[in-house]
Amino acid sequence: MRPTGSRPHRFIVLALAVLMAGCARGAGTAPRASEAPATAGVSFPVTITDDDGVPVTLDAPPQRIVTFAPSATEIVFALGLGERLVGVSGAFDDYPAAAKGIDEIGGAGDFGVDPNIEKVVSLRPDLFLTISGGEQWKKRLRDLGVPVFTTDSTDVADVFHDIETVGLLTGTVDAAEAVVSRMRGEAADVEGRVVGDPAVTCFYEVYYPPLTTVGPDTFIGDLLARAGCRSVSARARSDYPQWSVEDLVRQDPQVYLVSSESGASPRAVASRPGFDAVAAIAAGRVVPIDADLVSRPGPRVVDGLRLLARALHPEAFG
Amino acid sequence: MIAPRRYGRILAVLVAALVASFLLAVAVGTVWISPWTSIRVIAWKLGITGRPAGVPVSTEVILLQLRLPRVVLAAVVGAALAASGAVFQGLFRNPLADPAIIGVSSGAALGAIAVIVFAGSGALAAFGVPLAAFGGAILTAFLVYRLARIGPTVHVATLLLAGIAVAAVISSAMSLVMSFSGEQVRDIYAWLLGGLVGQGWGAIGAVVPLVALGLAAAALTAHDLNLLSLGEERAAQLGVEVTRLKRRTIAVGALLAACAVSVAGVIGFVGLMTPHLLRLVVGADHRRLLPAVLLAGPTLLILSDLVARTVLSPQELPVGIVTALLGGPFFLYLLRREGRGAGARA
Repeated sequence: MRPTGSRPHRFIVLALAVLMAGCARGAGTAPRASEAPATAGVSFPVTITDDDGVPVTLDAPPQRIVTFAPSATEIVFALGLGERLVGVSGAFDDYPAAAKGIDEIGGAGDFGVDPNIEKVVSLRPDLFLTISGGEQWKKRLRDLGVPVFTTDSTDVADVFHDIETVGLLTGTVDAAEAVVSRMRGEAADVEGRVVGDPAVTCFYEVYYPPLTTVGPDTFIGDLLARAGCRSVSARARSDYPQWSVEDLVRQDPQVYLVSSESGASPRAVASRPGFDAVAAIAAGRVVPIDADLVSRPGPRVVDGLRLLARALHPEAFG
Repeated sequence: MIAPRRYGRILAVLVAALVASFLLAVAVGTVWISPWTSIRVIAWKLGITGRPAGVPVSTEVILLQLRLPRVVLAAVVGAALAASGAVFQGLFRNPLADPAIIGVSSGAALGAIAVIVFAGSGALAAFGVPLAAFGGAILTAFLVYRLARIGPTVHVATLLLAGIAVAAVISSAMSLVMSFSGEQVRDIYAWLLGGLVGQGWGAIGAVVPLVALGLAAAALTAHDLNLLSLGEERAAQLGVEVTRLKRRTIAVGALLAACAVSVAGVIGFVGLMTPHLLRLVVGADHRRLLPAVLLAGPTLLILSDLVARTVLSPQELPVGIVTALLGGPFFLYLLRREGRGAGARA
């Protein structure tokens, strides 16, 4: 199971932050500024408060980075820092291909979803990049002198901000600007193509059975709205709700999106009880969606946006 | 022992409750479908009348392919779980016994999970999961039985202890299988949470004959279970072949539990609560208890599922959460009332 992006318990983290002063120093190798791709505009030491509310101080551009989230791995590679990545979370860190050979630190804890603390420390990281959740092991890592930096993205704008922040933290501001400006261009292109089209009704399947979908406040919910979809589950009150199949039949969406997490083929979807009555499924508009592109808050999110927009508005993409 | 007239009245109330909950559950949901509309659609589908005017196709699909099979499945699973609980409680002479206590539900779940992890979710799993659930339940029940047997007899205490020990081993095995699972971890959670989503008429048709077989066998053991409640020694003196009876009872209880697990995952409390509650009302005679349980189990699960799918509509809750929330307080209330009644009589 991949580390999930649950909401941070900011009050706990803020309380911990008081205890954390100075913990960022201690581990790591001597700075070798000449190896940094670009440090223009950044002078170290640099202090940035992360999305858990914890201030993180780095004395020099990090040389040994460990990531604990596939999106963080993708961001590090996009900034040209792949060579400095010494540890990743596990088998889900599969992009880019170069990430696959790197030491894995995940698989510990009661549910096998925490990082292995000993393994992390043995890698002597001078930056540990991750997403929200796991306050307990984060505190342990900080106590051991590992600078833990958390990002939390709930929409595409957050991703731009995250990449720029990681750029500041790693002394790669220019690379981050280039990546973000390319992504902004891509997103603007996609949104420009679909903006004239009337919104299409759609349903996004995460899992079945029970039928599980995404709420409006999730990362995927934001992408669906941007891609010109009026989602059946836009009125959901939680992030990954179990959804009534009756309601799916009644709302009768025009496009049915199936996450690769679900893995159901269009044929399998149509063969479920009641599903063949849905317009999208009867018309064959069942589109498999690569979950990695739409659920990882990283540089490929604009590819996910394009994938969704193309599925919803094929005519706008010629 | 209550008077036959009073028992008759209780059964009449249970029948009325079952019919009312069935009609209510078929009518209520994301769209209201009146019983009259339901009757007209069903009559049309059976070829008795023409297509009813003014009924949208979506309503027809919701009724025939989604809501009706779900309510019927709830009834079948409720009956199987409640009867399984009644049989195990009679065997153990322990009103808190339950398919879970002797590890049968865990065994069924382990069988199912192993197939999910090692065979994926393709065509093999569609047949393999129910079969493996059944195999897991029966194997567990007999393993526990073998472990618990000392000489020619099986003592209830050793049976319970063996059940708890085997359930603990199975639970570790489940954790082990889950640690190998990767992406199927979700399938496993869905299975362990239990639910009535996604089963059509085909699954119901497959499970109903097995449940009927189990219920018939349970009915045949009712008299023997009464004798057993006098104590094993006394039962043997009265001509009951105690060890054979126990073996048969375990097989029947395991069959019923496995039927339920194979189509609906692990749904707790129905097998524990229903017989216990009704014993407080109709007494301990299994010939009276079983019919009452067969009426109340379906009612309980139909209503629990109705709550699960309507309280946050169009979102749904896992039905196991509702059975626990509904069953727990009611159980405590009756337990307390019974305690006070016993105190007053003393």
